Amino acid sequence: MNFVGKRAWFYLFSLAVILPGVVFLIITPGLNPGIDFTGGSTLTLEFQNNVTQAGLRDQLASIGHPDATVQKLDASTFFIRTKELTDNSKAALTGALEANLSPDGLTELSFDLVSPVVASETVLNALYAVLAAAVGIFIYIWWAFRNVPSPFRYGAAAIVALLHDTIIVIGIFSILGAVLDMEVGTMFLIAILTVIGYSVNDTIVVFDRIRENVGNHPNRELSEVVNLSISETIGRSLNTSITLMITLLALYLFGGATIREFLLVLLIGVVAGTYSSIAIASQVLITWEYGDIGRIFRRGRQPQGAAA
Amino acid sequence: MGRYGRTVIIIAVVVIAAGLALGFQTFSVGGFQRGSDNTLLGLSLGLDLQGGSHLVYQTNLVDPNTGARVEVTQDQMDALKLNIERRVNSSGLGEPIIQILGTDRLLVQMPGLDDPERAKRIIGETARLEFKRRTFNVSRDLTEITAADIAGVTVDYLPDPSPATSTDQLATSTQDAQAGTQLVALMVEFTEEGAAKFLPVFVKMNESFFRYQIAQQEFFQRLQQDPNAVPSVDIVPDTLDISVEGNMSQRYTASAASTSRLDTTTYAFVVPAEEDTGEQPTLEVAMDRVGNNAQLLFTEITGTVDEPIGLTGDNLSRAFPGQHTQSGIPIVNLEFDSEGTRIFGELTLDIVRKQETEGVRDQIAIFLDDQELISPTVQTAITAGTAIIQGRDFTVERVRDISLQLEAGRLPVPIELIQERDVDAILGADSLAKSVVAGLVGLSLVLLFMTMYYRLPGLVASIALMIYATLVLALFKVFPVTLTLSGVAAVILSIGMAVDANILIFERMKDELRAGRTLLSSINIGFDRAWPAIRDGNISTLITCGILFWFADQLGASIVQGFAVTLAIGVVVSMFTAITVSRTLLRFVGTTRLTRSMRIWLPSGGSEVPQQFLTDTAD
Repeated sequence: MNFVGKRAWFYLFSLAVILPGVVFLIITPGLNPGIDFTGGSTLTLEFQNNVTQAGLRDQLASIGHPDATVQKLDASTFFIRTKELTDNSKAALTGALEANLSPDGLTELSFDLVSPVVASETVLNALYAVLAAAVGIFIYIWWAFRNVPSPFRYGAAAIVALLHDTIIVIGIFSILGAVLDMEVGTMFLIAILTVIGYSVNDTIVVFDRIRENVGNHPNRELSEVVNLSISETIGRSLNTSITLMITLLALYLFGGATIREFLLVLLIGVVAGTYSSIAIASQVLITWEYGDIGRIFRRGRQPQGAAA
Repeated sequence: MGRYGRTVIIIAVVVIAAGLALGFQTFSVGGFQRGSDNTLLGLSLGLDLQGGSHLVYQTNLVDPNTGARVEVTQDQMDALKLNIERRVNSSGLGEPIIQILGTDRLLVQMPGLDDPERAKRIIGETARLEFKRRTFNVSRDLTEITAADIAGVTVDYLPDPSPATSTDQLATSTQDAQAGTQLVALMVEFTEEGAAKFLPVFVKMNESFFRYQIAQQEFFQRLQQDPNAVPSVDIVPDTLDISVEGNMSQRYTASAASTSRLDTTTYAFVVPAEEDTGEQPTLEVAMDRVGNNAQLLFTEITGTVDEPIGLTGDNLSRAFPGQHTQSGIPIVNLEFDSEGTRIFGELTLDIVRKQETEGVRDQIAIFLDDQELISPTVQTAITAGTAIIQGRDFTVERVRDISLQLEAGRLPVPIELIQERDVDAILGADSLAKSVVAGLVGLSLVLLFMTMYYRLPGLVASIALMIYATLVLALFKVFPVTLTLSGVAAVILSIGMAVDANILIFERMKDELRAGRTLLSSINIGFDRAWPAIRDGNISTLITCGILFWFADQLGASIVQGFAVTLAIGVVVSMFTAITVSRTLLRFVGTTRLTRSMRIWLPSGGSEVPQQFLTDTAD
């Protein structure tokens, strides 16, 4: 199979997946930031009496929390998000709910409070972390591929693939955020960083084969070597992502609700990471080698830029 | 068979050790103790899996004059930490884990806490430092107890502790000490009003005796560890002076130990021993001395009196550890402001004067949050506003701790709660149970897939993966790594990476087998060829882990930190199992009869490998 020859299609496909996400990210509120990014409080309450989501929302509005959002976790458990609660205002809130909705009692399963101070720096720190991770990985790959011509490109291509995967995940989440009312928090950040780790790991496996084949076939064209390397590693790539997806699906289906968001990011990330090693990272090497950018410019497209 | 036998034995030993470490809830080797009786496999569980409170505080120090924000120093953070630790520990709320985050934040973690509100109140209090004058043996005549309050005075043997009085804990504790001896005691029966006036005196005396015993106990405990220890707290128990005007004038000194409450109105005071013989007078002699119509005057002698003198942390300008210029022993330096200098000067002058005239040496007791920190005696009058505190058992650490706590009280660092995460224990247990089920299901599916697809090598890899899971969990327990929900996710991810390493190896092995190599050389070359990819992939993951760890440290996000540590351990162990355990097991199997069927060594699919490239692969 000629992977290298189809690189224009690969770029186009990525663009098609990335664009809607980016549009959603820009025009709608995009990612629904959780309290980790905005500050505020969340409560998980279990009610002894029958409580409906609408009833709970109305009750919250009537006791001074019109901005509260309510999510039903299961028959008797609700997740409530409000502005920052102090000890007193929390006691007032749970007291009122108990008195008016659940006279038989309620249990506070979890309570979270994040002040806006922490929230604002979380976003910045996350950005720094992603940048630092990218730089660290770039330098390592540059060094690890030092015996191959232009090792710099391998590092750069891996970073392009990494950003590609990150943007896909963020884009899909901004669509999910708008459609499913899904929030992102610290766990989302960890998941993104995990996806980065996985994406790079996957890219390195393909690159490793290229590194080996470049040494074995010094007289072959790079496009041929890359094609050969992808062919040789595709079985492994698919099997690895299948096993990972099995594990993640099992966790998603049987694990607790708390890490669902995390697992969904990983699932999307694993698919994107596997795809990008073959269709983006390796192709960027070819595009760079053969000066595609000039040609693609004349066609009026700039896939590399889009992928970045 | 024997060639890889030794490695197999080593692996078996490691696995058994890991299995044992997990199998026993708790274990200890030497002084090294791990595990817990009430968690899954004795692992150390995070707050999200066991319930508890996670509190992050931001220090908020402003200059009192300009109102501008001031950076807190490392010492101030240390002092704050010490202070909160002391406060929470002494409140009986359990033992918190307190950590300084970054430069100006404090993380307080309290596992399994029922009352987070109370904990937050105690943590949030502003430190109060107060200097008090400590005097001893202050006497006060209890003139409010008059002859009309006393119904009768007799002398009798002190009754043995009986069930009737044993409900009264204060009384029996003193009687127990003297059980079995016939003690002569002065029995005073009060009227109802008299008893009501005397009861507070009796309670106060017993309380002070109790405090004295606690201070003594603490001192003896320290003495066991350090023979040079001296009491850090001077407490003298309260006593009662009773002057008895009967047939003879007598003076009794009663302590909590020699006073018993027989019923609501009757108290017994053991008659003191004769000065010449050292023994109690007989009942007859004592009765004769007291007579039938004795008049009593009670004088309360308060052993230790701490009197506020208007000197607080506000008047202290500085407290810092140092060394005595001559002897070089560690000391605490104090510097007061002008107001503090004046009060401190007058106080020390008065104490020295009192010592010269009365021979009594008062102390300065220093309290932090109403708890006594230290109570130095005064050697000379200090009017210059700088003082040093020395103690015979002062060490560099103790001097530093005292200075830090004084500083904390002098300039309390206000803190503000900026992040809180409370998880109910039931929810935590539920998350844990679900994660365990999900993990087991996921792992079984992966093992099934590997065995079905890669056949015998897949089965070997499955065994290696189970060994891997055992090793990782055992390491978590031994280190110990606190396992959180995100940690569970990291374990699953690292299992994925361990599987990946195996798949990489098998694909390479398959290529070599197809190229017509022998089984053993295919195994060896397969491993060698797969290694660079495994190494580089895992190192890049470790780089990500390192950056995550740093990121989490800055943020105080213990969830992220737990994830990074767990993943890093998982990655390192996965490299180890892939290259050591899998390889040895495969080689071991490769020397058995199982090599006769080539079919079980090759995956069912795998035809995607282009044959023409395989043949020209250089060695």
